[in-house]
Amino acid sequence: MKKVFTMMVVLLLTLSMVACAAPAAAPAAEPAAADKVYKVAMVCDSSISDGGWGAACYNAMTTAAEAHGWETMYTDSIEVADYVSSIESYCSLGYDMIFLPGNQYSDATKEVAANYPDVKFAVLNGNDQLPTENICSILPNADQIGYLAGGLAGLMTKTNVLGFIGGMELDTTKAKLAGYEKAAKAMNPDVTVLSAYAGSFADTAKGMELATSMIAEKADVFFGDASAVDSGARQAIDNANGTGEINVFDIGQPADILGQNPCIICSVVTDNAGMLGLCMDDVEAGTFGNKVVYGTLENGCLSAGAINTDLVPAEAQEAYLAFVESVKSGEFK
Amino acid sequence: MESLFTWNFASEIVLSTFRMATPLLLVALAELYSERAGLVNIGLDGIMSFGALAGFMVSYLTGNPFLGILAGALGGILVNMVYAFCTVSLCAEQTVYGMALNIFAPAISAFIYRVYFGVSSTLAQATLMKTIAIPVLKDIPLVGPLLFNQTPMVYFAYLMVPMTALFFNRTKAGLSYKAVGEYPKAAETLGINVVRQKYIACIICGMLAGIGGAYLTTCYVNTYSDGIVAGRGFIALSAVIFGHWTGSGVLMACLLFGFCDALQLKLQIISKDTPYQLFQMIPYVCTLVALAIMGAKKAGPKAKGKPYLREER
Repeated sequence: MKKVFTMMVVLLLTLSMVACAAPAAAPAAEPAAADKVYKVAMVCDSSISDGGWGAACYNAMTTAAEAHGWETMYTDSIEVADYVSSIESYCSLGYDMIFLPGNQYSDATKEVAANYPDVKFAVLNGNDQLPTENICSILPNADQIGYLAGGLAGLMTKTNVLGFIGGMELDTTKAKLAGYEKAAKAMNPDVTVLSAYAGSFADTAKGMELATSMIAEKADVFFGDASAVDSGARQAIDNANGTGEINVFDIGQPADILGQNPCIICSVVTDNAGMLGLCMDDVEAGTFGNKVVYGTLENGCLSAGAINTDLVPAEAQEAYLAFVESVKSGEFK
Repeated sequence: MESLFTWNFASEIVLSTFRMATPLLLVALAELYSERAGLVNIGLDGIMSFGALAGFMVSYLTGNPFLGILAGALGGILVNMVYAFCTVSLCAEQTVYGMALNIFAPAISAFIYRVYFGVSSTLAQATLMKTIAIPVLKDIPLVGPLLFNQTPMVYFAYLMVPMTALFFNRTKAGLSYKAVGEYPKAAETLGINVVRQKYIACIICGMLAGIGGAYLTTCYVNTYSDGIVAGRGFIALSAVIFGHWTGSGVLMACLLFGFCDALQLKLQIISKDTPYQLFQMIPYVCTLVALAIMGAKKAGPKAKGKPYLREER
């Protein structure tokens, strides 16, 4: 009896592990070409309900898919070791496109893409060396993202100290930090930027500790690139502001999150859905591959979100909008 | 760097150390109670994440963080009963089932969160527990405001340390408890119900680890995200070994881990040009050095990790 039970438990656990690793979708037969329903899947190492990066990317996929009439599926919170097997399982299930929201999937994508020439891969933040016959990079301009945050931060700081919290030292994160600092210095030459990395995208508590320390070092405007860690930082900022006047601010990304916390003054919005939609157009037209889809202020895939008019004075708003225009026109770079 | 060695710097580090050490301490004590009964439970990370979710959900829905802590404790016990039944009643391998909890519990937590809150870019935020200052002690100069103005859960965690030491060394029940982890057959001949004792150990372990998880979402941060536990269960596990299976040792180990982490975060901020990876190594280097100096002379409870087969000779 004991043995039977133990075996059943083991079987159950094994099954649940398999269920976690592989998507629970039936392999679909290829419909006739005319009424073909395209399918896109997202494989992601953060959670899609993290209220940050993962959520924004998932929503981008569903928004773009809805506009194009595609079906969607996802696997999230996977480990690095499972990148390849997760991507492969969607390929063998007959998905038309796999959406990979991050530079960290580049190697796994290259490995799988070579074996599945008919499946298209769209890598968000993939570099410009990555594209092949069936791989496209979607590359929001990280410099411009940094500029948009830094410009406002430089205008808003009273202590001349800014904070930046990263998750890991990715190329895009480094570029955002550099852009942030450069734009802030252009607005206010006396600014210094404090930066630190949490070493994680999920450890909310670390974000809180880092922001608390930075506030103690007089930082009063924050920008971050670390998903759930950012929400910890915002909590620390709200704590520091208390119930009184709001003196420490935060700039959000990649969705427009104005109103989520009282300290948010603006967001740098990345329209991932728009860029992914361009890839879907290419898949449908048969022109996918060998391409980098850039997301910039010029093509509207990057933008400054709504400004908190209670906290940002009118002259700062004006100066900021003028600055955004100068980035857009290429005057500031 | 001139801001090193100032009072502000020191007080920030102390506060940060206590904030970061408290969840570790709760969970390390959970493991201590488990291992003292011979059960090595490496599933702490899993139990914590379920506790964190249960604590968050209840505190979010009722607005009462104390109910959240209670829910975390119950959730922790519930998850750990799977481990208890398999390892105590079925005498299965403890490491395997601990690992199974680590895979199973975070996944079910993520599932429940997603079913309830859906996928949105806005975060659900719960009420956090308020800090309570202890009347006389908080007026002690310098240390008073640092140590005695915390949430009740912090006092609970640190009170558990002397209580644990007293229980294991000064009470009959505590000695019987330890006997189960040292030599269960001899304990049984003395009339101790070994199986019942092991189940009690699992209940205590599940409760404390669940509270440790719930502490993260009811006293520390006001949101829940998958992976919020971030390996703290494993650090707590090493704190028990590091602390030589005693309450005070575990406390020292947790404070050391908390201090190193607080220090590395602070150093990252004040010295910008040093690569941050160097600072992130500090907690691990400290562990290595401390282990090398102190050694692991005491090997802990003799029967830990071994299943207890009552009828085996």
